[in-house]
Amino acid sequence: MLTKTQAVDGAAIKKAIEGRDGKLLSSFYADDALVRVIDRNNPPSKPREIRGRAAISTFWDDICSRAMTHKVDTTIADGDSLAFTQACAYPDGTKVFAAAMLELKNGRIARQTVVQAWDE
Amino acid sequence: MRPIETRYALSGDVRIAYQVVGQGSFDLVFVPGFISNLDLHWEDEGYSRLLKRLSAFSRLILFDKRGTGLSDRVDAHHLPSLETRMDDVRAVMDAAGSGRAALLGASEGAPMAMLFAATYPERTRALALYGGYAHFHKWVMPPERLEAFIEAAETAWGTGATLPNFAPGRVDDAHFAQWWARFERLSASPTAAAALARMNAEIDVRDVLPAISAPTLLIHRRNDARVDPDASRYLARKIPNAKLVEVPGRDHPIWTGDVDRVADVIEEFLTGERAVTEVDRVLAALLVTRIYDTARMGDRMWSERSQRFQEIWRQQVGRHGGRLAGTQGEMMMSRFDGPARAIRCAAALREAAQGIGVASAQGAHVGEIELRGPPVGLTARVTMQLASHAGRGDILASRLIADLAVGSGLHFADAGRITLDDLDEPLALVQAMSEQHLEPDCRARTRTTEPAVLTARESEVVSLIADGKSNAAIAAELRLSEHTVKRHVANILLKLDLPSRAAAAAFSVRHTGPDGP
Repeated sequence: MLTKTQAVDGAAIKKAIEGRDGKLLSSFYADDALVRVIDRNNPPSKPREIRGRAAISTFWDDICSRAMTHKVDTTIADGDSLAFTQACAYPDGTKVFAAAMLELKNGRIARQTVVQAWDE
Repeated sequence: MRPIETRYALSGDVRIAYQVVGQGSFDLVFVPGFISNLDLHWEDEGYSRLLKRLSAFSRLILFDKRGTGLSDRVDAHHLPSLETRMDDVRAVMDAAGSGRAALLGASEGAPMAMLFAATYPERTRALALYGGYAHFHKWVMPPERLEAFIEAAETAWGTGATLPNFAPGRVDDAHFAQWWARFERLSASPTAAAALARMNAEIDVRDVLPAISAPTLLIHRRNDARVDPDASRYLARKIPNAKLVEVPGRDHPIWTGDVDRVADVIEEFLTGERAVTEVDRVLAALLVTRIYDTARMGDRMWSERSQRFQEIWRQQVGRHGGRLAGTQGEMMMSRFDGPARAIRCAAALREAAQGIGVASAQGAHVGEIELRGPPVGLTARVTMQLASHAGRGDILASRLIADLAVGSGLHFADAGRITLDDLDEPLALVQAMSEQHLEPDCRARTRTTEPAVLTARESEVVSLIADGKSNAAIAAELRLSEHTVKRHVANILLKLDLPSRAAAAAFSVRHTGPDGP
């Protein structure tokens, strides 16, 4: 666990995602954080739920291990809420677009909901 | 949805065809066995089912190994080493932008995946090995059998002749056998197939097993027809962080047999979560009807009667509230909402078959099937196997059918158990009986239980019952109407004061004299 942690804000998230830094990203989450992903395979009535920092670390490690580009835009912050969009591309040209809503608690991400769509 | 794109990765100067499908948060590379063809896989129901299952929780990366399918061929005189072939996995991962992936190696793909995991531990998230082995000659075939296999493959390649070596359980499935022949032709020429077989025969990765650090899952079918299950038991002992799951079945290719079972195990291992039960499955009773003993009929007669019987089948299924679920060779499948309807329809079909001079044999089973499309899963396969096992005029059903039909007025007799490849436990069977409604509810107490009281005709009927024959079969044999046979059976039971035809059969066996009962 990190003792000295970076403040979680739009700029920090942008840097971690665009730099594909899974470790840094994971450090932004509270121990009991919940990430919900809604996409083609995980419909709104049954979103994929990733609970706890360990599982969230694996999730980000998997995503950051991909040789793809990420671009984070439109970061909006309002108190303990944060929102951003993310445009990603695989080397073969496949594009993914995601929008994320985050709730912060004590300076850490407590809840995050990601809605994403892929080229297919 | 746009069609799945096939792309080519460059491995050295060899082009490796690959596809990427699915939107999961981690990558899964499927390393196929002997031969493959990326385009053709999607045309087989089992194969596309497997790929759909895997790509539902991962970003699935598929490729054809060098020497097969859509990838470049190899020089038969300078066969590449397993290391070179393994590096094709890395090349495909690089092209697909995958830094780290779980690998699923099936059959010959397993040793390649093991070698990859030992060589690139930082790029191996986890390893799932299905029907794999570390040493070809020890667990697949010794050198002399390999030569025979290659010789046979070179002369009969492209006809599907290798199918019995891989999936003996699908040999009678004409549709699949045809697909398999195309699979051979579109995956390799005879020369390429022989080259692949020789490359695979070189496989010996026993030394690298202790170097594998990724969490490893081993899956093997208990009666695998191609690769000895001991091969995976050996891997389980030698790979440090391995877990072995043995599943029932004998068909070797990962896309045959109970595909869902294998996919469930893989999904749970890779995601840590059990596969979510599918919502688009419903409980249904399936009935498979076939004409018994077609070999005795001439071709023309067979075709006429079979056509006529199919017409009757369509009518009767509709009349009993069922739905036609397609034909496969001589097997006609229908589905019903309840088991009693299925059995009543079966009884009607048995009688109708008799009317046009053929005998039927039928199987009925109940289980979950896919809501859409023709039933192709476990329930369908079990029902077809019951129909294959059913004798002349028989309606062979799983005990479940009888249990669910309680209160329907239908009668069933115990018919033992059957062991099927797909099932862990033997399946309890019953025979559907149709003559029971002619039995009196209360029998007069008669003390006459000696066979002498039976007429000559009744004695004949009893001994045929003891042979396990149905009324329809007995009627055919004695050239009587089925109705008359039913009367005889009812009279026999009454005279002997016996509760069922099974009891009559037992009685007959006990009282057999030199000339029968």
